[in-house]
Amino acid sequence: MLEVKNLSKTFNSPGGNVTALKDVNISIKTGEFASIIGNSGSGKSTLLSMLGALDTPTSGTIMVDDKDISKLSSKKQTVYRAKKIGFVFQQYNLIPNLSALENVMLALEFGGVSARKRKGKAEQLLNEVGIKPDEMLRKPYKLSGGQQQRVSIARALANHPSIILADEPTGNLDSETGKKIFDLLHSLSRSENTTILAVTHDMDIAGKTDRTFKLKDGKIIT
Amino acid sequence: MNVVSRGVKNAFRSPMRSGAIILMLAISIGLILSMLVARSSVNTKIDQVKSAAGTNITISPAGVFGFDGGGNNLTSTQVTQISKTAHIATTSATLSDQMAATDTNLTPSLTLGNFGARQARLDNSSSNSSGSTSTSSSSSANSEFASRPVPTPHTTVTGTTNPNSISTNGGSLSITSGKTIDGNSNSYVALVGKDLATKNNLVVGKTFTAYGGTVTVSGIYTTGNTFQDSGIIMPLATIQTLSGQSGEVSSVIATVDSSDNVNATVTSLKSTLGSKADIVSQTQQATDSVSSLQSISGLALTSVIGAAIAGSVIILLAMIMIVRERRREIGVIKAIGGTNKKVMAQFVAEALTITVVGSIVGLTLGILVSGPMTSSLVSNSQNSSSTQSSTRAAAGPGGALFRGGINRIGSNITQVTSSVTPGVFASAVAITLLIAIIGSAIPAWFIARISPAEVLRAE
Ligand SMILES: Nc1ncnc2c1ncn2[C@@H]1O[C@H](COP(=O)(O)OP(=O)(O)OP(=O)(O)O)[C@@H](O)[C@H]1O
Ligand SMILES: [Mg+2]
Repeated sequence: MLEVKNLSKTFNSPGGNVTALKDVNISIKTGEFASIIGNSGSGKSTLLSMLGALDTPTSGTIMVDDKDISKLSSKKQTVYRAKKIGFVFQQYNLIPNLSALENVMLALEFGGVSARKRKGKAEQLLNEVGIKPDEMLRKPYKLSGGQQQRVSIARALANHPSIILADEPTGNLDSETGKKIFDLLHSLSRSENTTILAVTHDMDIAGKTDRTFKLKDGKIIT
Repeated sequence: MNVVSRGVKNAFRSPMRSGAIILMLAISIGLILSMLVARSSVNTKIDQVKSAAGTNITISPAGVFGFDGGGNNLTSTQVTQISKTAHIATTSATLSDQMAATDTNLTPSLTLGNFGARQARLDNSSSNSSGSTSTSSSSSANSEFASRPVPTPHTTVTGTTNPNSISTNGGSLSITSGKTIDGNSNSYVALVGKDLATKNNLVVGKTFTAYGGTVTVSGIYTTGNTFQDSGIIMPLATIQTLSGQSGEVSSVIATVDSSDNVNATVTSLKSTLGSKADIVSQTQQATDSVSSLQSISGLALTSVIGAAIAGSVIILLAMIMIVRERRREIGVIKAIGGTNKKVMAQFVAEALTITVVGSIVGLTLGILVSGPMTSSLVSNSQNSSSTQSSTRAAAGPGGALFRGGINRIGSNITQVTSSVTPGVFASAVAITLLIAIIGSAIPAWFIARISPAEVLRAE
């Protein structure tokens, strides 16, 4: 269960204060697949970074499995990110110097998986998302965008997170590949009972999710 | 794959750039090691020279410089003044003279070499006004007397209150047969140098004539120095009487009770004797003769500091560049649960890898060049100082008595042996480590400040 109450975020920038989120209230059940839509600058990424403890909100609470994560110390934030959250980014954000396999193993390391078990687990995860054994040993720049996004989904799933936060996961892919990635996320949320919150511009995709939140100027409008 | 192996792997992520950084670092580390070696070798030499210098002060008549005469011998009043000066433990007074063929029945054992011949002519031309001894010192004597007739060699005779002061090594005079003489007596006895004794078939108990007097051989001595071994040593008073220089002394060696008091004693002697005497301490001479070494030592230290700063700046700038370049990557690692500590450790491992490779290359380089570097530093700067020390060595009878010792130091001074001692090597490694720490500490601080939220911002 993910419950956001009266969440606000104001950035203090040299050009003046920017309020990116205003009094946001949302509630998502465990295993639900929700989407967020909204214009550019409406606060979608900001909301994800609050939910993923990449940044702390100005006010409000974020309850994840009955624990408020909005006021964690930066150390506890890191642990929370490692174990409870999986991120999928528009630019894939794989570590360029590491192979696909090592990228997934890195997440397993941060999740506290013992060194012996990492390789087998990573191979299994990559297999699940449809990466072939010879592709596993390649560095990211030798994989296609769709393959890279599959690797990043495997990395996000590595530690069985409660929530997967995806910021425009199909944004850099053609519509067909994007659809495949989306289907992959969808089926995983079903099989692993993982809550997924995905930002998207694609109304087709948004229409297929369990729920859709619309953000406008930092406020939820549906 | 752990933090360390990722860091090591990252160090070679762009081989060209890492290679350039490693090369620059290796040059600074090589410079650090070779300069540390130069410094420690030179310092060892300085200590040797300084500890070899005793607590003696030599007082000689003012104005006796080279062999131009001009100075009047010290008087007995002055000798008394000297011995009464505070901190002076013992004094030994010496009067040197040279006996021509008319003064003695002895045949000189010293044949004049080219240089000695010039000295003798010089002595003749200055009409024996002072009791100069010519010695084997290297001199800046010029050769404008070349047209004069070849002179006959003289026999040097030294009257001293302390025969041991003639010893060239600062210890006791070594007597090969017979016994030493009492320098404070006025009897007609003598110690004869080994070479002179051999030349004239003198043994203990035999006699020879000097200035019209008959002198008995009390002992035969050897110093290992051909010039000294061709001379005669007699009690001071005997020579003063025989040569008609009553009460006169050509030099006084005063021994100070402690090396700490040498400089103070020199100062007080200068104020009592004023401009009538030249006062030189061994410590002073040793200090002068190592001054060029000291400047090398200082230069080497400056280079070490400079190279250490350069090395730190190189690795620091390289790491800052790398951190800036991988800003997003660092953000991603943090976003997927990497702790600040882990990211920092990874970059420290990377900086250390570069530094370690750089130092292996650099230390090897340093070991190879430290020898040639030290000797070229020493020999370059020694040119000026050897000219300086040779003029000083010619400074008349005053310096004559321990000139031998100082000259040995002088000629040895270029022979600085450079060796990479474990201590020096350890300090080079320590400095290198310091460079690595500086090189990663500041980037680590940058790393800590990178927010993981940045990864959600479009590039
Ligand atoms: N670190 C920051 N400092 C200052 N202002 C910020 C910061 N991050 C976001 N903002 C501002 O907050 C608002 C919301 O930004 P956000 O990135 O959440 O928009 P978005 O909905 O993700 O847009 P897009 O669809 O273009 O990605 C914007 O006006 C943005 O300029
Ligand atoms: Mg965004």
